[in-house]
Amino acid sequence: MTKKDSEPLIRFKNASLGYGKSPVLTKVDLEIRPGEFWGILGYNGSGKTTILKTMLGLIPCLRGEVREHGRLFGRPSFGYVPQKERLDPLYPLTARAVTAMGTYRKLDLLQRLRGAGHGDLVKRCLADCGATSLAERRLSDLSGGQKQRVLIARALAAEPEILVLDEPLAGIDITTQQALLELLKDLKERHKLTILMVSHRVSAEKGLFTHIAWVDEGRVTTGASGDMLSSGRLSEVFRSEL
Amino acid sequence: MSILLDMLKPGFLLHHALWGSVVVGFVCPLVGVYFVLRRLVFWGVALPQVSASGIAFAFMLQGLGLNFMSGGEAGERHLAILGAVVFTVATILVLAMLERRGAGLSEGRIGALYALAWATSILFVAWNAAGETEMLGLLKGEIVSISESDFHLMLDIFAALAGCMFLFQREFTLVSYDRDMAVTLGRNALVWDLLLYLIIGLTVSLGVMTVGPLVIFGFLVIPPLAALPWARGMASLSLLASLLGGLSAFGGFYLSYTRDLPLGPVVVCIACAVYALSSAARLLVPRSS
Repeated sequence: MTKKDSEPLIRFKNASLGYGKSPVLTKVDLEIRPGEFWGILGYNGSGKTTILKTMLGLIPCLRGEVREHGRLFGRPSFGYVPQKERLDPLYPLTARAVTAMGTYRKLDLLQRLRGAGHGDLVKRCLADCGATSLAERRLSDLSGGQKQRVLIARALAAEPEILVLDEPLAGIDITTQQALLELLKDLKERHKLTILMVSHRVSAEKGLFTHIAWVDEGRVTTGASGDMLSSGRLSEVFRSEL
Repeated sequence: MSILLDMLKPGFLLHHALWGSVVVGFVCPLVGVYFVLRRLVFWGVALPQVSASGIAFAFMLQGLGLNFMSGGEAGERHLAILGAVVFTVATILVLAMLERRGAGLSEGRIGALYALAWATSILFVAWNAAGETEMLGLLKGEIVSISESDFHLMLDIFAALAGCMFLFQREFTLVSYDRDMAVTLGRNALVWDLLLYLIIGLTVSLGVMTVGPLVIFGFLVIPPLAALPWARGMASLSLLASLLGGLSAFGGFYLSYTRDLPLGPVVVCIACAVYALSSAARLLVPRSS
């Protein structure tokens, strides 16, 4: 492992995270390294999405430090899969058009005026997610699992170092959940991705995590997946989930 | 048929009114698409009235002897445009800021704003009784008396606004559809929002000066609603809505001219008929998957 590989992609150091002036989480210490698969777990309203939003640069860190690649937090290369319910079904967008949004970072205005595009990349990402046949259908017409595949394809089209998924399995049946987890496992290997997945429940996905951040009562406890799963409080939570 | 051919001739007496309406009919739905998709339809009611209030404010200034624009009637018109633009853009920015904060009831705010804009329009005009007739004419969108150079300037501005809407469609769609994704991709969502609001402000202000607040509200909302069930992407939605708006304006003008009916209400009724036909056809035609 090279020195660069062992450097954290993201580091929270004694950080307070929240909205406005009110911290939701305090004293957050978290280091995410290349190739890791993190589960950010906790009950509803515990602050999981606050971590994610700070990481993506959607809200500022209130106190402490958030660094990426050792630099002050700037514009990281993230692929973001939001909760599918957040996207308004009124928009008449096809799966292909939604996936193409992931490429918008790469096209500047002059390139676009010259008619440049990323059609091949979009096609490849849809194929990687098993969504080629959905390309011309409206996103709003797709099932929950199909939508999630398209949103993962969109995130991949940004060619990210880190894939961030916010509750990707919520409202999806068990069989489709398994298929999506298989997809994530496969993408992680093929694209050498670092993955962060936010979830308020844990069942099938816990086997994929290399690390877990447990968010509860304003604090974040982190560790290797095996250690966290066998530790007191968390093992009780998982037992009750299962 | 001969009337239709007469209308298309360059020397047609009302050619400013005809082509002004048609151009507004084409351009307004391009920004109206974002009102509908962002679920801000009621902005479309309030903003044209705010624009009208800005025009009335300009007339009040003239009544008080504060017209700092030279050029007689043209100066008055330029002052009215300035009033409309300033009022509309300032209001959009305040509304957008309040929406972002998520404070209070959005519909309540728009309702209060509409009532205020309507009331101030009347009060401002009361300060300049001489301007009342002209004000009524402007609010009804009577652009017959506009000079040739002003008319062409207005067309150029509308063309530029339409060009911007197509050129920046990806950015406007991205920040409207998934703001978080836009920020994650390094887009400055606030800047794109401001640009969109500025374009909306200019379109609504100039549109109100051209065809009046009622027609502008109609053009902002009805053609995008009629186009929405058939669109398969933002480009097709914009183009179809724009086409329906332009055709409604032309059809409305023809009917108004031949039947001697007031232009604005006829145009809005035609646009509504198109919307009804579109909705009925959507029920009959199965959606392909």
